[in-house]
Amino acid sequence: MKTLRFAVALLGIAALAAPTFADAPAIGSTAPAFDLKSVDGKPFSLADAEKSNAYVVLMFIATQCPYSNGYNDRMRDMAAAYAKKGVLFVGINSNSTESVEETAAHAKQHGFGFPVLKDPGNKIADLYDARRTPEVYVIGKDGKLLYHGRIDDNSNDASKVTSPDLKNALDALLAGQTVSKTETKAFGCTIKRA
Amino acid sequence: MTRLANAGAAAIAALAVRLAMPSPASAADAPRLAGELDAKGLAAAVAAQHGRVVVLNFWATWCVPCREEFPDLVRLEKAYRARGVSVLGVSIDLPKDMPKLEKFLSASAPDFPNYIKRVGGDDQDFIESVDPKWGGELPFTVVYGRDGRKAQVLSGKQTYASFEKAVAALLK
Repeated sequence: MKTLRFAVALLGIAALAAPTFADAPAIGSTAPAFDLKSVDGKPFSLADAEKSNAYVVLMFIATQCPYSNGYNDRMRDMAAAYAKKGVLFVGINSNSTESVEETAAHAKQHGFGFPVLKDPGNKIADLYDARRTPEVYVIGKDGKLLYHGRIDDNSNDASKVTSPDLKNALDALLAGQTVSKTETKAFGCTIKRA
Repeated sequence: MTRLANAGAAAIAALAVRLAMPSPASAADAPRLAGELDAKGLAAAVAAQHGRVVVLNFWATWCVPCREEFPDLVRLEKAYRARGVSVLGVSIDLPKDMPKLEKFLSASAPDFPNYIKRVGGDDQDFIESVDPKWGGELPFTVVYGRDGRKAQVLSGKQTYASFEKAVAALLK
């Protein structure tokens, strides 16, 4: 029994020392379902959001990450523009270092018109293997993952973007076309896991 | 914006001048800003350490966990230099952040070279060249064996113990 307890304790220490990541859902696979609360206390169900929108854009964001903050205006503007086309943008804050109150104040300060969810214990970040902020996922009505990666290729200066990858993906999908680039990468802040 | 770009270009030019300086005589004299790098230059910098275990760390001054783990890299390099470990830093800061970068390096006093990623090109290409599984999150560390082969990647902030564990396994 003592040996078993010791082994369990060791496993616990190992888990704390080296966070393990689930395999990222592949493009075309079913995006993991989840329910969370928004920072203003409203319930959010991904399954319900998929049913009532053409596409859902999940955005892992942060309040203190300069790379994520570089996109605040772009996220707000894209969410508003694409809402008219049946696309729901949703922010998720999985950082253990950023509280619900701080996340709510940040959303208000930047005029986010989209729901912002708090992910206690970074469970949803783990489900999606989200590593950084910002990191986005586009999900279709059937729950399939259609795009994963960056918003565009320039966090520092919106006027110098040469590859607006999220916009390209959404425009292609809304036009009934295939997304040419389904996975992209960019620098960003590590999600601070609990 | 043009003024900012000019300031950035001037900072990079100043760095280039430093690069032209003679190589340091000892690790203690190592330049704290070793120059700018693209993917090709990075591969060459790692290859130049062939025969030693290399700890390649990507960081930025705006990245809090990067700043927090940096002292452990400084300590690791001091402790394992003589046993065949080299540490290389690559900052992802933009040229506009050069003053912050220099201030941080001056205060941290690493005895290992730190490069800055060259501006331009698609960051995705740079990220992919380092490791296909890297999503771009910072900090990020790649550990290479004496044979120059990639042995381990470490995503996110590490402890001194995890850095030590990674290199000790390759020194056996």
